[in-house]
Amino acid sequence: MDWQPILDVVLKLIAISVVFVVVLFVVAYTVLAERRILGFIQGRLGPNRVGYGGALQPFADLLKFILKEDIVPDKSTRFIYFLAPVITTIAAMMTMIVYPFGPDTTIPFINKTIPLVVARFDVGLLYVLGITSIGVYGIALAGWSSNNKYSLMGGLRSSAQMISYELALGMSLIGVLLLSGTLDLGAIVGLQSRWHGSSWFIFAQPLGFIIYLIAAIAETNRVPFDLPEAETELVAGFHTEYSAMKFALFFLAEYINMFTVSMLATTLFLGGWNVPLADYVFGRGTFLFGLVSVIGFLAKVIFFLFIYIWLRATLPRFRFDQLMSFGWKFLLPVAILNILLTATLIVVGFYGYFGY
Amino acid sequence: MLALLFILFAGLAIGCALAVVAQRNPLYSAISLIGVFISLASLYVMLAAPFIAAVQVIVYAGAIMVLVIFVIMLLNVEHEDTRRTKIGFLLPAALVLAAVLIAEVAFILVSVDKASFPTSAASSIGSTASIGSQLFTSYLLPFEITSILLLMAIVGAMTLARRTKELSPNTRVIPGAQLLALNIVDPSKTLDDATAVETDTTEEAARLLGVNSSRDPSKRD
Repeated sequence: MDWQPILDVVLKLIAISVVFVVVLFVVAYTVLAERRILGFIQGRLGPNRVGYGGALQPFADLLKFILKEDIVPDKSTRFIYFLAPVITTIAAMMTMIVYPFGPDTTIPFINKTIPLVVARFDVGLLYVLGITSIGVYGIALAGWSSNNKYSLMGGLRSSAQMISYELALGMSLIGVLLLSGTLDLGAIVGLQSRWHGSSWFIFAQPLGFIIYLIAAIAETNRVPFDLPEAETELVAGFHTEYSAMKFALFFLAEYINMFTVSMLATTLFLGGWNVPLADYVFGRGTFLFGLVSVIGFLAKVIFFLFIYIWLRATLPRFRFDQLMSFGWKFLLPVAILNILLTATLIVVGFYGYFGY
Repeated sequence: MLALLFILFAGLAIGCALAVVAQRNPLYSAISLIGVFISLASLYVMLAAPFIAAVQVIVYAGAIMVLVIFVIMLLNVEHEDTRRTKIGFLLPAALVLAAVLIAEVAFILVSVDKASFPTSAASSIGSTASIGSQLFTSYLLPFEITSILLLMAIVGAMTLARRTKELSPNTRVIPGAQLLALNIVDPSKTLDDATAVETDTTEEAARLLGVNSSRDPSKRD
């Protein structure tokens, strides 16, 4: 009997579980980090009672969510009401598998080379964009199925915002695509490892990076684009009627989305797992190089998460019509301009000087 | 292994397609249609066409069906009536047409030469680079005409959605018009007196209330 396919499947399941656990831990501690950093910026301490410096706070929150009373509105459409947080969470988690966490590393004792990515697709970037499109459904269905006009308004506004900024997001990535010539995320990271790991695409595409960052913040419904779920405007938007664990799933899905777009930004613009001068010090393919690369990747992602939290503490929020006109009338034309500019510069040979 | 996956995704597609037709709630039909599209995307991946699979999810399941769901939600389409509709002559007609369809499919299955298809793993027809290169060389004219078609659709939508009639002559929109209750303007009146005091501009309202309404923040006290 041929054991190889079964072994492959088991290894893939182990890889998926590892990524899943890492993501859940990072997201749980992002929630804690957000509350503490928000506190520090606002001149107060965040939660620091539970555990040392508040380190056990996520577990306390989890316990609270599990033990809370689960209230289901009476006249809601039952099946869709239960389906909506599931769709949102699944769509948020499905994008984890294409990001390369590190280079192909040789584990010392077993002498086996493992790629530090769960699945290598030829169309990794398109896959991420597709799954982000599916995530819109969770919000729209949640707003509608709660049988509450504020939830419906919040859900429709939120999904309209998401589909508007998805366009600008996709267009801003086309500049990177033109430079790299491939949709494979592992190959894109590999292309950024010239000059001892510092030929990042952010130096070639600064405008694209800024557009991507703004569109990503709008895509994940974070301040300053979080009108659909602002407390003062629409109670809590589309997740008003959700309590306990279903609300926890929405909350989790929002932070996982943040994590996902941060990882995409890191992979495409900040060089992924490339740490400058690491291959000079350690040598490619060794175990220490792999370890330093993974730590570098996570550090860059955490830097992006810090920017998200920093923006939350600093900026007021957009009104909804301002938000939509910004997305359609400003961001989309600038993204198209970026594509034209990049294509022109490639043809002229400007990027050839820098080795892109 | 591949056969197992095919049975899984094809069964899912057929089940969701049956659910689209059989559901009474139109929103459930729309969600089942999304399930059909995602199963089809998985089948495309199995046929070594990853680009088409991703584009199917992005465009069809991610944009067109979002539009359909918005329409269903906003137009508040109700459940169908539970009264049985009169089918009459439609049932024999449906049977005849279904028999014709099944006969066609059986004919195709029997007469197609299965051995002459290329194996999925070897061909590179479905890869993004080859689709892109074909689209910009051999199929350039259809590509450009499709973009004009999309432009026509956008212009058509904007034309249809414009307000063609003028507003009725009785509507008045006065910028800065305020409607104040009398007990706010004149504190000597009691709280019961809620007579309306209508002003036409912000400056008039500000004068009545005794505040400074200048737009320049340094002139306000």
